[in-house]
Amino acid sequence: MTVADSRERAARRTARRRSRIPTLFGLAGGLIVGILVCGAVFAPWLAPYDPTERVARPFLFPSSEHLLGTNDIGQDLLSEMIFGARVSLTIGIVAAAVALLIGTTVGVVAGYYPKRLGSAMMRGVDVILILPFLPLLIVLAAYLGRSLLNTILVIGVLIWAEPARIIRSQVLSLRSREYVLAARSMGAPDRWTILRHIVPRTGLLATGSFVRAVSNAILLEAALSFLGLGDPIQKSWGSTLFWAQSRGAFLTPAWKWWVLPPGLLIMLASLGFALIAFSLEERINPRL
Amino acid sequence: MRRRLDVRRLTQYGVVVVVAVTLNFLLPRLMPGNPLVLIAGVDVGLLSPDERAEIVARVGLDVPLWKQYLRYWGDIFTGDFGYSFRSSRPIVDMIWDRLPWTLLITGLSLIVSAVAGVILGAISAWRRGTKTDLGMLSGMISIESLPSFWLGMLLISIFAVQWGLLPSSHAVTPASGLAGWAHMWDIVSHAILPVVTLSILATPGVYMTMRYSMLETLGEDYIRTARAKGAGERRVLFGHVARNTIAPVVTVLALRIGFAFGGTVIVETVFTYPGLGRLVFEAVSGRDYPVMQAAFLVFTAAVLVANLAADLLYPLIDPRTRTS
Amino acid sequence: MTTMRRFASSKALTLVLMLGLMAAACGGEDTSSEEVSAAQAQAATAQSEAAAAQSEAESAQAEAEAAASALAQAQADLEAAQAAASAAMEGDEASQSALADAQAALEEAEQRAAATAEASEEAVAAAESALAEAEQMLDEAMMEQEAAAGPVTVRAAITGDEATLNPYTYISGFPGWNLLMLQYDSLMQLDAAGIPQPWLADTVSVNADLTEYSFTMVEGVTWHDGQPLTAHDVDFSVDYYINNVEASRFARDLRGVEDLVVTGDYSATFVLGSPKAGFELAALADIPIIPRHVWEGVEVPSEHDFGATNIGTGPYKLVEYVEGQSYRFEANPDYFRGAPAVEELVVIVFADDAGAQAAIRTGEVDVIFERIPPEQIPLLDAQDPLDIALGPEFTTQMINYDASKRPFDDVAVRQAINLAMDRQDIVDTVFLGAATVGSPGWIHPEHRSYNPSMIPVYDPAAANALLDAAGYVDGDGDGVREFDGQPMSFEIITNAPDSLRLRIAELTVEMLAAIGIETSVAAVETGTWEQAVWPEFNVNNGRNYDIAMWGWSAPVQADPLRLPQLVASIPMGGFLNLTGYASAEMDALSAALPVESTEAGRIAILLRMQEIIAEELPFVLLLYPDGAYVYDSSVYSDWEFIAGQGIVSKLSLLPPSARP
Repeated sequence: MTVADSRERAARRTARRRSRIPTLFGLAGGLIVGILVCGAVFAPWLAPYDPTERVARPFLFPSSEHLLGTNDIGQDLLSEMIFGARVSLTIGIVAAAVALLIGTTVGVVAGYYPKRLGSAMMRGVDVILILPFLPLLIVLAAYLGRSLLNTILVIGVLIWAEPARIIRSQVLSLRSREYVLAARSMGAPDRWTILRHIVPRTGLLATGSFVRAVSNAILLEAALSFLGLGDPIQKSWGSTLFWAQSRGAFLTPAWKWWVLPPGLLIMLASLGFALIAFSLEERINPRL
Repeated sequence: MRRRLDVRRLTQYGVVVVVAVTLNFLLPRLMPGNPLVLIAGVDVGLLSPDERAEIVARVGLDVPLWKQYLRYWGDIFTGDFGYSFRSSRPIVDMIWDRLPWTLLITGLSLIVSAVAGVILGAISAWRRGTKTDLGMLSGMISIESLPSFWLGMLLISIFAVQWGLLPSSHAVTPASGLAGWAHMWDIVSHAILPVVTLSILATPGVYMTMRYSMLETLGEDYIRTARAKGAGERRVLFGHVARNTIAPVVTVLALRIGFAFGGTVIVETVFTYPGLGRLVFEAVSGRDYPVMQAAFLVFTAAVLVANLAADLLYPLIDPRTRTS
Repeated sequence: MTTMRRFASSKALTLVLMLGLMAAACGGEDTSSEEVSAAQAQAATAQSEAAAAQSEAESAQAEAEAAASALAQAQADLEAAQAAASAAMEGDEASQSALADAQAALEEAEQRAAATAEASEEAVAAAESALAEAEQMLDEAMMEQEAAAGPVTVRAAITGDEATLNPYTYISGFPGWNLLMLQYDSLMQLDAAGIPQPWLADTVSVNADLTEYSFTMVEGVTWHDGQPLTAHDVDFSVDYYINNVEASRFARDLRGVEDLVVTGDYSATFVLGSPKAGFELAALADIPIIPRHVWEGVEVPSEHDFGATNIGTGPYKLVEYVEGQSYRFEANPDYFRGAPAVEELVVIVFADDAGAQAAIRTGEVDVIFERIPPEQIPLLDAQDPLDIALGPEFTTQMINYDASKRPFDDVAVRQAINLAMDRQDIVDTVFLGAATVGSPGWIHPEHRSYNPSMIPVYDPAAANALLDAAGYVDGDGDGVREFDGQPMSFEIITNAPDSLRLRIAELTVEMLAAIGIETSVAAVETGTWEQAVWPEFNVNNGRNYDIAMWGWSAPVQADPLRLPQLVASIPMGGFLNLTGYASAEMDALSAALPVESTEAGRIAILLRMQEIIAEELPFVLLLYPDGAYVYDSSVYSDWEFIAGQGIVSKLSLLPPSARP
């Protein structure tokens, strides 16, 4: 057996492993997200109590009746966690959708008309990327006021720039493909060319950006809520942390059942989407 | 990721500056609420209209918006941002007081995260597909999914409150009268938790960039050739790979320095750390227009300078641009 | 530790424990100064004497308390004390042995109690006197210990910067004003009961028609820079506040002052344009006197650079201020009422409550100059050496509604809302009992102007009946009543950062739903909320809300003569009338109150006003959060709780002999 042979085999082994990590991550991410989504969908059946109802004394320690104890006005924390999945995931997914909508539109237009219009749009994207992000988030949230919709808008409006940039570069390369050039030379209207030939081919890339955006949006919602800029009446994981913080749970034994679970759930949700995004990105850019 | 500094890029900076300054001016004024109560205190409701007008005029809120806007531009060029509504202190002094602390913790955390990120990223790429790679990669993605405030609060809860090892807040023990080495240690012990929090949060970004960038380099033909020729692993790693990998990583780090400023808002709030981030949060909660205007400007300037630095650095360190 | 003090039956035990603790504290100090060891010896002597007194007391007590119930009580107390002591004093041998002694003593007492079944009144008296003696000894020993421990430094936490703390830069009404007044004095000073007493002024007198307030001043008071304080400084201060209205609190205090006639270096007379009762509380005890020689010529007071410190006459000098971080105050040894008991006060700024609470747990601070939230009271109290100062406070939590428009202009609707509110439930659920149920007549039960016939009633059935009778019925059967063809469905606006108020709003939604009024909580920015409830802080601008959660700070209630500002109609001086309520009788009473010359007459008017408030409900007062302040009793424990105001005042830091 020659040295070259063994190297060859090692390379093949590596190649097999290469394909395994993204798949593994994709599966793990899918599993996490699947479980959380199931929890959100079946919340009314899973949760032992109505999370908006005062069912016991405030600040109860965990017991067999209330597995995670109760919050500061006697609502069941476990039920709050389960129902929290609804709000947190909704905000994450819808905000990412908003971001993707803006991002794709800007990306496609800027990529398809790369001269004046596109370059002007990309300057706008640069501005968004350069502005101090968190302060902007705080100001916007304070300006718009607190509601589910506003939280979604604030997050969506702030995270569209990255998808826009990614999609634009894809469109730029698609633009010079033969079928696009052919369609254009045959006098097809731009709108038709874009919708027929360009947009469908950005799909995979857009999906990747979308999933990545969901992961970010979930974290942003938590940060906004924690800073007291979300809607504390909505039972999201972030707002549970806001209440835990404002009723001092971080410094008391209650942190184990009032602070850890929502934080871990936020992390899990964000992680689930990040893993999927990673595996998608690896697939899109197979050279890596 | 190829970056060059040219006229187009400079114009772009100009546009960004104007837009950012305008937004910095408008955003505070768009926020709901009235700064009058900050200036005159809670009994403002008992003042007569004349007395109110007098106060509003003194802080310069009586003139039309466009005049205030022009005055803001004037402030930028003279470097005098007036006085805080809330504390009545000169804003320039406030910023100079806060800036060193933010520089300290962001600087330290950037160093820590850069070193950790580059080393781990390199190992991960070199051992791509192995268990090491898998472990590191999943670890880093998990860390990236941590809510920053939550991490900070947990660290306080564990290290400061439960174990009493480190102080929970502030940059120094207030009014301690410490000097010399004791003072230095005081500063260090207060910086540990915020720096650890920031470092943990910043490492995955560097790690990912390093890993990607190195995988890309490893895939290049000349590296394959070098490896195939049987060159020592060590020589390939340091002689070829490192040289070609470092440029994008430095760029990312430079950009990060800019954004690190804005990123301190949450961590500084959690640790009551007297940096610029907390100043902004206080100013936002209190509708302190002049402070917000000035502090936002510092953030924007930091990002711009970082971008500029990245543009200038890139051609110097990237062998490909150098040769072309 | 507070819980221990509460039980008289375990007093003796407490004494021994405390003496043990003290001896341990003295022994634990790693200073070898003679004073300390002397104090230690004294403390030890005191301890043995106290122990003797205690055994005496116990033998007497044992005779007195033969009943088995008393025994059980003592046992329970012992266990509680034991748990508290062992939790806090782990590894502390001295206290452990003290505890063991106490336990032995108690066991002995138990045996004797079982043997002697006769109770004698003489024995009880003997026990009481022995206890009193022991207590006195404990006090003495404590004071000696404090004296021996050297200069006392207290580190206090606040949760927001207060700028340079002069009358034009301090930020919050509480604790900013309180810290300001550590450096400055006013002519009068509130005592522990919240009543103004002469301070810089020696005597204060008022003429029959309440238009002239004359005072003479204490002579020999000096400013921090050594210059003498005279009536000319007072004259200057009054003029300055009137001409520079940015310090709105002091400008408001002096509204109606036409002139201050200086009649001598140490005497002067305020001349008011119209009669004004209660000028002592509203102005004389509120306004810091500033030095003419420093402030003369200062054009923009808030931006003026006064150099390193503020010159006042107060017990403390500000010697260091680090913006956003800390203040250091040094005692003024020449203070005219006597040198302060605390030599150095360091005030540390935290970003929020949680930061301050973490710091007191780790020992980084010794006291928090803010009310601690209800859920923290038992937790912090359980931690030694932390202690809690509890007392009534005059801040309020209330429901406002726009009483000038439908349907809240109908008194029946307002009465129904009042009846629907289960105040006790809110106090128990949100405040865990650490609040006082609100009087429907606005004034706190502990306030000297309280009308004792004001009892809150919770009766949703009566509320429903009231609404039915007034014609607000649920016509379409959706569970929500209608008015003028619209559903009674409203938004309750509240400021989101205030979590307790937010919870009250959530409970209010539940309680109003029970009487067929549908509400939802809109949690908004503080600025947005203020703008809706009190546009531009000017009641003449109307209001943009249906229902709002609201609360006033303590001074609004502390001075009952401010009541007209809340309930008089807007053109008649209702500067704080945020609900647009108007009533002819209330206006007449509001006009009569400030010109009523006798205290009895004013009380009569205030009692009647409370009745009208409870009847017509310009707003629904829900509760008054109790004041709870946490402090480290091993550092300093002589805090004075001023009724309605809390512990943050110069009184807390002066020796008891210097307090009014």
